[in-house]
Amino acid sequence: MTNELEASQIVVRYGGNVAVDGIDVAVPAGAMVGMVGANGAGKSTLINALAGWSRGAPVVRGSVRLGGQSMDGLAPHRRAERGLVLVPEGKGIFADLTVSENLALVRPPADTSDRHAFSMDDIYTLFPRLAERRSHKGGMLSGGERQMVAVSRALRAAPRVLLLDEPSAGLAPRLVHELLSTMRALVDRGLSLLLVEQNVRATLELVDELYLLERGRLVAKGPAAAMKNDPRILEAYLGSLTA
Amino acid sequence: MNIAQQIINGLVLGSGYALIAIGWTVLLGAARLVNFAHGQLYMLGAFTAWAIMQKLGLSYFVAVPLAVLVLGLVGVVLQGMMLRLVMEQNLTSLMIVTLGFGYVFQGGAAKVFGGDPQAFISPVETASIRFGELWFTWQDVITLAGTLLLFAALWLVMNRTRLGAVVRCVAEDPKLAQLFGINAALVYIGVFVFECAAVALAAGLVAPRSPILTSMGFDEVILTFVVVVLGGIGSVGGSLLAGFGLGMFTALFGALVSPAYTTAAAFLVLLAVLVLRPRGFAAR
Repeated sequence: MTNELEASQIVVRYGGNVAVDGIDVAVPAGAMVGMVGANGAGKSTLINALAGWSRGAPVVRGSVRLGGQSMDGLAPHRRAERGLVLVPEGKGIFADLTVSENLALVRPPADTSDRHAFSMDDIYTLFPRLAERRSHKGGMLSGGERQMVAVSRALRAAPRVLLLDEPSAGLAPRLVHELLSTMRALVDRGLSLLLVEQNVRATLELVDELYLLERGRLVAKGPAAAMKNDPRILEAYLGSLTA
Repeated sequence: MNIAQQIINGLVLGSGYALIAIGWTVLLGAARLVNFAHGQLYMLGAFTAWAIMQKLGLSYFVAVPLAVLVLGLVGVVLQGMMLRLVMEQNLTSLMIVTLGFGYVFQGGAAKVFGGDPQAFISPVETASIRFGELWFTWQDVITLAGTLLLFAALWLVMNRTRLGAVVRCVAEDPKLAQLFGINAALVYIGVFVFECAAVALAAGLVAPRSPILTSMGFDEVILTFVVVVLGGIGSVGGSLLAGFGLGMFTALFGALVSPAYTTAAAFLVLLAVLVLRPRGFAAR
């Protein structure tokens, strides 16, 4: 299987701190890869670095290739145009703009070969709630609705690889399950997805492959089925959750 | 004293205030930026149009659009130089940098155009209209109509088009806009070009009312500040309202009390409004 996204030896520094220390990431075509780890493990820093984006001013090294093409040195808006689309953690939509204005900001590419295009009808079928809320401002939406708009916005950009950073943060458990199942269904239709999550249990159920990060390093990776029984996962995450 | 005439004077003054302020309204609203060179850009707009008329012998109606174009280009250069500060939203440095640009423009203009007052004459400034007791010029009519048209067009673009949504989203969160595939740097340049071009248009229409000097600009930047803050920062409709409000106040206060204290009185009103409505007229 070919890799839609390939990143090698990603190093991210903030001032003197090394937040991500030489991690390789590969997202195979049509696969869902999960990335888990404790707070401060460097998950968000890493996924942001793949998109070439940050709210801070980090120094990023390493190379990122999308469908074989180098993304190095490209500004975040250029990477988004090429189909490497990030939904960041937390604030992912504009509060002053309505739902339809938020979605209309994105210009779908003219050439959608190798891309996964979604029409507005597709979006409203996927998230019927948004059709009802289309003239509401982003700031008036609930957390779950905001996350739906953020994901929909990314889908409108016709992603080649979708990067999702903690879509479940702040959502009720039922909504988390709904949103992640929707994402899994899109992957089953061919989308390639990299998902950063805190919720290890939910992630393990859905992803094909799992990465475990600790303090900026990759400590384990493998097929989800195998990672379920990995002692580090059991001990640090599933064990403590069942206790 | 004729109240109707003072109301006309107020409308004329107010349309000028609103027109001078419109660029800053968008700049502050869309880019969260200030530009303390605004007054000197006004001066530069007036002198550019004047020089085109004097040196090239072109008509006022050609010189003003050309000055708008020239100031737009100046905007590209200025924003290009400030782009890194703008992307970092380094507001303190930007205040100082724009203040610096202002002084450089003032000194440069004095060197190039000389220190004497010049007559920047619009052919329609002297063409007056009379209705009984009432008196105004065609220049006043053009300024008023131009202001209303520009504000209406701006409001439509900002609120009803994708371009407006792009500008508003960059205002809210330039970093997030990048993830939507938007080149925030380009949007900042566009907004700054609009600011410079709009102040040149304002200079072209308003400056012919009196002789122009390279040292002018401070009053304009102060009045712009009042209009923008009163209107509610970044509000297009609010600025228009505040511009006319300030014009009316200046005309009536000048006629009824004393023209000597209008600026002080205007600031007194500003203080009162900000105490009662800290976010300006447009605040909901």
